[in-house]
Amino acid sequence: MKQSADPKAKASASSLTEKEERAAEKQRRKEEKARIKQEKYYTASQWQLMGRKLVKHKLAMGSAVLLIILYLFAAFANFIAPQGLEDYSSSASNMPPTPLHFVHEGEFIGPFIYRFEVERDEMRNKIFVEDTSTPYRLQFFVHGTSYKLFGLFETDLHLYGVDNSQLPPGQEPLQYMPFGADQLGRDLFSRILIGSQVSLTVPLLGTIISFVLALVIGGISGYYGGWIDTVIQRIVEVLSSFPTLPLWMALSAAIPAGIPVVQVYIWITLIMSLMGWTGLARTVRSRFLSLKKEDYVMAARLSGVSDMKIVAKHLVPGFMSYLIVNLTLGIPNMILGETSMSFLGLGMRAPATSWGVLLQECQNVSNIANCPWKLIPLVFVAVSILAFNFLGDGLRDAADPYK
Amino acid sequence: MEGKNQNVLSVEDLSIRIKLDEGTLTPVRGVSFQIRQGETMGLVGESGCGKSLTSKAILGINTPNCKTTGKILFTEDGKTQDLLKLKFGGAEIRKIRGKDISMIFQEPMTSFSPLFTVGSQIAESVRIHTGKKKKEAREIVVETMKKVGISNPEKRFDQYPHEFSGGMLQRALIAMALVCSPRLLIADEPTTALDVTIQAQILELMNQLKKDYGMSILYITHDLGTVAQMCDNVAVMYLGQIVEYADVHEIFKNPQHPYTRGLMGSVHRIGGGKERLFSIEGTVPVAMNLPDRCGFYDRCTSREEGACGGSCPGMREVSPGHWVACWRACGAEKEEGGHE
Amino acid sequence: MDKLKFIAKRLLLAVITMFLISFVVFFVIQLPPGDFVDTLVTNMIAEGEKVSQAEIAALRELYGVDRPFLEQYFDWLGGILTGDWGTSFNFNENVLSIILEYLGPTMMLSIVTLIVQYVVSIPIGIYAAKHQYSVGDYALTLVGFIGMAIPHFLFAILLMYISYQLTGTAVMGLFPEGGIVDFASFLDFLKRLIIPIIVIGLGGTCSSIRSTRALMLDEQTRPYVLCTRAKGVKESTLTWKYELRAILNPTVSGLGGIIAGIFNGSTITAIVLLLPTLGPILLQALKTQDVYLSGGILLISATLVVIGTLISDLLLAVLDPRIQYIEETK
Repeated sequence: MKQSADPKAKASASSLTEKEERAAEKQRRKEEKARIKQEKYYTASQWQLMGRKLVKHKLAMGSAVLLIILYLFAAFANFIAPQGLEDYSSSASNMPPTPLHFVHEGEFIGPFIYRFEVERDEMRNKIFVEDTSTPYRLQFFVHGTSYKLFGLFETDLHLYGVDNSQLPPGQEPLQYMPFGADQLGRDLFSRILIGSQVSLTVPLLGTIISFVLALVIGGISGYYGGWIDTVIQRIVEVLSSFPTLPLWMALSAAIPAGIPVVQVYIWITLIMSLMGWTGLARTVRSRFLSLKKEDYVMAARLSGVSDMKIVAKHLVPGFMSYLIVNLTLGIPNMILGETSMSFLGLGMRAPATSWGVLLQECQNVSNIANCPWKLIPLVFVAVSILAFNFLGDGLRDAADPYK
Repeated sequence: MEGKNQNVLSVEDLSIRIKLDEGTLTPVRGVSFQIRQGETMGLVGESGCGKSLTSKAILGINTPNCKTTGKILFTEDGKTQDLLKLKFGGAEIRKIRGKDISMIFQEPMTSFSPLFTVGSQIAESVRIHTGKKKKEAREIVVETMKKVGISNPEKRFDQYPHEFSGGMLQRALIAMALVCSPRLLIADEPTTALDVTIQAQILELMNQLKKDYGMSILYITHDLGTVAQMCDNVAVMYLGQIVEYADVHEIFKNPQHPYTRGLMGSVHRIGGGKERLFSIEGTVPVAMNLPDRCGFYDRCTSREEGACGGSCPGMREVSPGHWVACWRACGAEKEEGGHE
Repeated sequence: MDKLKFIAKRLLLAVITMFLISFVVFFVIQLPPGDFVDTLVTNMIAEGEKVSQAEIAALRELYGVDRPFLEQYFDWLGGILTGDWGTSFNFNENVLSIILEYLGPTMMLSIVTLIVQYVVSIPIGIYAAKHQYSVGDYALTLVGFIGMAIPHFLFAILLMYISYQLTGTAVMGLFPEGGIVDFASFLDFLKRLIIPIIVIGLGGTCSSIRSTRALMLDEQTRPYVLCTRAKGVKESTLTWKYELRAILNPTVSGLGGIIAGIFNGSTITAIVLLLPTLGPILLQALKTQDVYLSGGILLISATLVVIGTLISDLLLAVLDPRIQYIEETK
């Protein structure tokens, strides 16, 4: 304590101590905050830690957002896509992406397109020339092909498009095609969206099925051991000795021709999941084996906890985060698998479509050279695979929160 | 100080910072100590107090994300150099590692690469530092292996680590540390991973070898029982700081710091009568965002709000050669009125 | 002695695995509705012949497709073991001789890709681990992810397109017309190899880089690294002698999986690039229900993976002094 006889000095001293006190108070609060933060860090549950770490992982978060958008697009594909699965226009065959205009004859009239006229050059090759006389405005919520949203609500409302009902009679309806058209004059963008309903859900469902298979089979193998373990390990070894693609091809070839699309979809999903579970089952088994030896499991067993309860309460949470990471990283393989199968003509069949089916048109070089926009589905395949990889990587980092 | 009792190693104000996502850890904060020729100094503390990091800093083998400041002065043949100034992995520090200063680690089973024979891994040290050929190096290694009590060293030379028992492997590790006759041996909890009977043998061996080789030892442990057996002087470390330093008799007879007293109280003594073993309340706090006061404040049983809550106590010499970092110990010494 | 026991055990396991694989293969090729005779009859009708029910029944008996599943399986297996792999419907030839004809280029392509993959990925993976969080590391990670995200067949098309734009011709097939007869045609052959190898190897190389990097990072934290460093060993020695040697074992043990991966890649790549390997033949056989041919190809590709796994086990037995120790602790 400072002591002074001079009152002036005393006053200044007291104001000084006040300042000091305030500074000290600030300092204390800062320390307290830091301590609370630290305390939270050490008392947080594993999932909280994982979530917190994941949020910090920018690439993984960006990927998660992107995937959510992709899946939302798939869910509302029929609404967002201006064309339905069966729409086509022979005059638009192999049409390049439609340019979007805003200014017509020096006047801003909002987004619109011109009609493409088909002409032949001196080599008799088809060329598309814009007819700039009439602008066709793009509108939101136009009526077009009817469809069932989520398979439930019958509607013909689409997010955007050219209002073809206003066209003079005899004129062919036209469409804004941002990604161009395929051989049959179908809007590639619409088909990518509708195709994503297959390409994005088969891997997800397939992974979930193989996850359950792996958990059950691997769990039985690891928990009981003995001859069950030996048999299961043999089966896993045999299945994983096959190069997956040839076996996928053989199994897909076995899907009977002429069955409904839904059944083909189920078959493909099952085939994907049948091959996906082996690696994961091995992981589950080895985790079970090592966790079984942990003292806390022994303690639970000694106090008479049932087998099922030990598995559910003590073993599975012990490696859940690890499994989820593996799961996420397994999805890209299934996307590749489905796309490859469909590309080879062994997967989804017309009238259904998927990204792989769309890419069938890229099988020959001259087709790509003439219509490079047909490679656009590739971008979607690559981007969704990348996003799952990044998300899985972020999850893996996050799963080890104290690192 | 007499010329003979020269400092081999002098650590001055050593601090280590590690940057993490959650903040900056400072596991070592301003540590200073000296080791004289032929001395065994004990560095004692709980796990996580920074003693292992300190020892690794001497050899410069901490990972590059440990930002180390201060001075580590090593004297050899009258020449003193600051080891901290040497480049990580550079030629100068490599000449010192394994030759002038060598280290025994706590886990013998994982301290050897499992893929090479034990003998070849020891011989590598000889070949690096003496430039001897394979055959000569082998002879030296076999000789050293024999000295540390490995029976049948010729055969053992060509065996892989998994063919050794823990105790044998620790002997091999000691052989590896001694094979180039170092001036200073750092033993980082060399016996924690071993059985009690083997522990005694290894410590006996180290004492014997210290006499034979005339080297200094920095003995790092959390086990006070072995300190009495091994050390000349003892430094007690808590939360990255040295809180008490004295010769081994003084520290056992007259511990001044409440933490040291706590440590003493938690050791079981044969013939000590039936008492409850003392245990220190709480756990070591994490060395992050530490307030500027005595690190032991929260766990101390004899703290005084006014005296101890302020700034961090520095080391004070309470009696010749006995240094303590505690506000209270200093006062207590004054009351007792000094022995000198 | 222990090593011999280990090798014998592995060989026995491989034989059992092969037996089970043959069963799965036969099961899979029997899956499609209808049988070989159905296809045959359909084709005969398509060619304008008239086939009576009695004739069909006679054909069924002739080809033995009306017998129980297990009987047919053991019949088929017996044929496999004695060199009679059945007749290909498409080629009208013994399946084994067709497979042998295409096996050479398939193996050549796979082995070259395998070597390239290891040679490229291990040094890059080590570099990335040694420079963790550097610009180079991030760039390699990004390239690696993209490499893993591009489907083989599309990468093949892209490269083909690019080479078409650059050279004006789309390089298809593997061997130059007229075969390899002189140095010039050999060079042409090497040039034709480049695209397939890049395409097939890209995904595997990228994942190999990532796993090498992860293994290396893991290895760096091991206590023996610290201990060896404390001995005064050079950083480069530590990396190239100790750590590389340590990551070699898991790398070798992944050989079976890598061979399977190369097979996956080469199957579909060969279809796009029209390479003379087993891939296009398999697709054709599957699409036309040429069951013995597709079965034979499936069997041979699984066999090669099993052999790859066996080789990696044997290599491990040589490389790892702890092999019997590991076996015991398992």
